[in-house]
Amino acid sequence: MFRHTLRAARPLARTSAVRAYATEASANRLRVNLVVPHQAYLKQVEATQVNLSSTEGDMGILAEHVPTIAQLKPGVIEIFSATEKPQKFFASGGFAIINPDSTLNINAVEAFALEDFDGEAVRRAIEDATRRTNTGSEEERVIAKIELETYEAIAAAVPK
Amino acid sequence: MAVQARNMATLKEISMRLKSVSNIAKITKSMKMIASTKVTKAQRAMEAARVYGNSATALYTHAETASAPDSKDLVIVVSSDRGLCGGIHSSLAKGTRKFLHEHPNSSLAIIGQKARAQLQRDQRAKIAITFDGVSKNLPTWNEAALVADEIIKSGVQFDTAQVVYNQFKSVIAFDTVTVPAHSLKSLSESPKLAAYEVEEPVLKNFEEFTLANTLYWGIAEGNASEQAAKRTAMENATKNADEMIGKLTLTYNRSRQASITNDLIDIITGAMAI
Repeated sequence: MFRHTLRAARPLARTSAVRAYATEASANRLRVNLVVPHQAYLKQVEATQVNLSSTEGDMGILAEHVPTIAQLKPGVIEIFSATEKPQKFFASGGFAIINPDSTLNINAVEAFALEDFDGEAVRRAIEDATRRTNTGSEEERVIAKIELETYEAIAAAVPK
Repeated sequence: MAVQARNMATLKEISMRLKSVSNIAKITKSMKMIASTKVTKAQRAMEAARVYGNSATALYTHAETASAPDSKDLVIVVSSDRGLCGGIHSSLAKGTRKFLHEHPNSSLAIIGQKARAQLQRDQRAKIAITFDGVSKNLPTWNEAALVADEIIKSGVQFDTAQVVYNQFKSVIAFDTVTVPAHSLKSLSESPKLAAYEVEEPVLKNFEEFTLANTLYWGIAEGNASEQAAKRTAMENATKNADEMIGKLTLTYNRSRQASITNDLIDIITGAMAI
């Protein structure tokens, strides 16, 4: 009889434990992972808001955002947190996935902190890419056009 | 006279053998040192690739994507063109054969000449596409993306790509594991995908992106495992060579002393005869 009551009590304990865990996970904080193939820039960093630009338009992501899979356009990713200064990275492309448990996984092919960019080098790169959009085979022109798009986005983002 | 000649010939043979084994020991020792430095670099690249790969495939866990039991799979074997690395390539071939046995309706994509040589013997019909010369140096994402691109361009149909690679457990241990990269079809059928807001073309791009990411992960880990196994193999080879040198030196000295003793016996019996 004693054993029977114990068995009945156990399932209840489990469900209440699960419920408590779920509330904890979706607290008012977004957890951000920003990774590129050779480095993890941000690992499980708590943020209040993340701004990024996707192929469907610019997005501002807060905690408890609806789960989304978004493809990134070349542009700036801004991470705002309650305790630190906002961090800005420029990413060339990739994907951002918001999961139901308020984790944001950003996989970028290439990304660097905005302050690491050299305005002069970007200007030269734009000139070079513009020149190449008018010469060469079809494939080379398309490649140059994509490069130009990326460099212009960097130029727009880098502080003068 | 004849006995003398026989001993001297043996002596010369032994000393030649001793010299060649010493040279081999030097070579394997330097190969071991090169592999040791490469292991540390490869391990660092692998740690980053792991974080990247896990982040990229986290969606599968949340959306509970799974491949159907009768799905048409593409097995992508991640090996390399380099040998002298212990059981790396045989382990991959064994794991691949086991998987093909359980999923006979699969095709094969092979990265690396060594695994191709092993699998060509009995699975030639299943091979859809092979790659040589991948990751000559440290693995790069660009290479993985190119491989993924070629696989997609080749038009081979599959529900799930299964990437078979050697997972790095430690400097002396590795495990052959399989990691899935799901196709658009499998992804769309995930039970919990409906929770996500996503446009169809984005999902298609995501499928291709994840294939490249999973391949990069497999190549980076496989590279680290291979360098570690090469280091161990070369260490064992050097140890064996040193052992052989020890034994040969003893044999050489014994032969030399025996030949000297024989000379002495001849001289003394000759002197006694006078």
